[in-house]
Amino acid sequence: MWEYFKIFSTPKKLRAVGVLGMNARNYFVISRNNKRSLYPLVDDKVQTKKLANGIDINTPHMIGVIEHQYEVKDLTKIVENQTEFVIKPAHGSQGKGVLVIKSYKDGMFITTSGKKLGFHEVYQHISNILSGLYSLGGQYDVALIEELVHFSDVFQQFSYQGIPDVRLIIYKGYPVMSMMRLATKESDGRANLHQGAVGVGLNISTGKAIQAVLHNVPVSIHPDTNVDLMTLQVPMWKEHLMIGAQAYEMTGLGYLGADIVLDKFRGPMMLELNARPGLAVQIANGRGLKEVIKNVDKYYPKNLSAEERVDFVLNNAK
Amino acid sequence: MKNILSVRGVLGVLLGISVLFAAIATYYKITVWGFSILPSEKTDVWTIDAHISFKPTNSAIEISLATPSAGKGYKILSEDVIASGYDAVKDTDKNRMIIKSHPRKNKQNVYYRIMLYDNKDTIGKVCDAQTPKVNKPLFENEQQEGLVEEIWSLADKEEGSPATRIIKTLNANILSHEVDAFLPIKTTRQIMAEKIIYLLSYKGIAARIIRGVKLNEKKKTSPADLMLEVYESGKWMVYNIKTGEVGLPKDFVLFQRGGTSLLDVSGGVDSQIKFSVLKSTISSFKMAGRRAKYENSKMFDFTIYNLPMLEQNTLKWLMIFPLGILLVVIMRNVIGISTMGTFTPMLIAMSLIKTGFVPGLVCYSLIITLGLIIRATLTRLNLLLVPRISSVVIFVILIMQVLTILGYQYDFKIAASAVFFPIIITAWIIERASITWEEDGARNATKQIINTSIVAVFTYFVLSNEYIRYIMFAFNEWNIVILFIVMLLGTYTGYRIVELKRFAPLIKDK
Repeated sequence: MWEYFKIFSTPKKLRAVGVLGMNARNYFVISRNNKRSLYPLVDDKVQTKKLANGIDINTPHMIGVIEHQYEVKDLTKIVENQTEFVIKPAHGSQGKGVLVIKSYKDGMFITTSGKKLGFHEVYQHISNILSGLYSLGGQYDVALIEELVHFSDVFQQFSYQGIPDVRLIIYKGYPVMSMMRLATKESDGRANLHQGAVGVGLNISTGKAIQAVLHNVPVSIHPDTNVDLMTLQVPMWKEHLMIGAQAYEMTGLGYLGADIVLDKFRGPMMLELNARPGLAVQIANGRGLKEVIKNVDKYYPKNLSAEERVDFVLNNAK
Repeated sequence: MKNILSVRGVLGVLLGISVLFAAIATYYKITVWGFSILPSEKTDVWTIDAHISFKPTNSAIEISLATPSAGKGYKILSEDVIASGYDAVKDTDKNRMIIKSHPRKNKQNVYYRIMLYDNKDTIGKVCDAQTPKVNKPLFENEQQEGLVEEIWSLADKEEGSPATRIIKTLNANILSHEVDAFLPIKTTRQIMAEKIIYLLSYKGIAARIIRGVKLNEKKKTSPADLMLEVYESGKWMVYNIKTGEVGLPKDFVLFQRGGTSLLDVSGGVDSQIKFSVLKSTISSFKMAGRRAKYENSKMFDFTIYNLPMLEQNTLKWLMIFPLGILLVVIMRNVIGISTMGTFTPMLIAMSLIKTGFVPGLVCYSLIITLGLIIRATLTRLNLLLVPRISSVVIFVILIMQVLTILGYQYDFKIAASAVFFPIIITAWIIERASITWEEDGARNATKQIINTSIVAVFTYFVLSNEYIRYIMFAFNEWNIVILFIVMLLGTYTGYRIVELKRFAPLIKDK
């Protein structure tokens, strides 16, 4: 019995390492820095994409949008010249409802995990998206069809299928914490930590691995590929940070999560933004967010351009 | 930081004020309205029926009946005269009921009914400023005076006040010759009382008969009960004419005292009055309004307790919601349990209250399981979301219907509770569980369902508690306190309990 309670920490200890709790995040960080009216900018991926393209932030090219049920049958027309693409709900979260088609031939769709889907099943999936099954609050949604990211070989050994992505936490325009999420066999190609993906904390000024966790427990090798996770170094780190810093100006959100993937050909690309990024990044980094946020409020210079902020982070953050 | 402190400050002050208000209101309700702290308390209500009968004499009829006066050890719930064609008027000054009618034929029956409650022990001492005059009896002969003297000398051997001594002497087990000679062969209570008064007057002690009814259900009908009032050192003391006990008993309701008569009938002869007594119990609640009226408390009219029963029952049901909501807030924001839908567990708990715990839980699991199986089948049909969830809703209704019918036919009570579950909520649980199942795997779906059930069961145990429900209804002002607690929880920025576990890996030196 007593042993069981040992897995609990105490509020005092958590406070000492500056862990940001869910209540404190909602009260002090989100409600103060994120204006409600700005949420649609990041909740709707189509809008985010348009905004990003306006200021030259790389995003996967949009192939098409399906807005109404009667358009669903046009899917074959929309993807006529594509063999691989991604169908996702514009208002989805946590990767819900994302269907990745690796190859498409003669009305047969093959997903990343090798599952074969007929037109009917894909049709059903899009219908579900449109009727709001995956959207926040269940409102009607649109389905976004975009190009498949050709993710860089750099991470091939680090991820079991799926797309490894970098999650940046941007506070008042400063990237303050980051992690890389690596899919595992258990997470079924998904990059969500609670589904069993590996989270690797990254040094915010270098993009180098600090530590890694799997199911909240520190690990040093990937459970499926056995690669040493500590050797992880994200290339083009400054470009990653730039995307995050620019997203602040683009959306006006003071507390922001940016999911960035590295494309073989086009470099870092912004997949989506999140106005309520979760707190798992703290576990991956082995360090609390509160301290960093306090430092930004107190010591970080204000009124810098995105590039200046990135330089500041590259030179100063520890 | 400053901002949150001031918000908390304001809310804290409001919470303090609301606690104070609630405490005062509760105190007032208990002391003035007589609300009890325990739900099961009952109030005894006594119904006294006085049956007056007489033969009319072809002249205008006027009946004058002495009635109990309010505020002396009991409260009057209602007072009524049942006699067709008669006009009844209460003379509040003299405390008499005047019942009039035109001349009539045949034997007449008139009923007077009074309902009393809250009868308290009264000591039966009534001050009377005027010392009553006592006329010494005039004796027909010396022999009689000698007899009285002898009885008094016998009485002096007893203990107590003169009245007690006399009563004891006259009621002795073995009567002395003197007493035997003094009392008529057949004594009624009336004669006995008169004889006592006679004996007391010899010593210059004033005494008189009072009439009333003993609150005793056993007797069917009986004439008015007699007691003796004796004037002792400036006060009228009540005596039991059989035992000589002093004091008005708790169960004695006084109709007439002093020089007036119990019943006067003009325009009639052979008048008789008989009383019957019936006891009933009513929940203290229903009596509260009556009590409030005694205190001239207008406030009561603006409370939920003054509403018709139907509205009261609905509100009684609603009054428990805030507490359920508080629990949900604590579960989510302080403990951090994630459930399917914010208030779903509370709604399930409410249903369980209606169905009973075990039958409800068994039945609900059955509905969810069947629903999930049906939902799994629906997946293959490739239906759009809204029609699909709608079909699930209809399926849930059909399942409930079948369960209820089967439950009734085979006298299987568990199944009969199916109708009480919220249909739409149930359908959404099925839909969500099914989606979670497909998206996050069976483990996560089961975990969510179990979480929801645990919270629901916990909420059930709190809300189903008869005592808690009674308190939340009877002292509904505490709902304001709950409101401010909930608002204060809205500024709780500390760690959730599950986060203590979640972020534990961040503490390295364990």
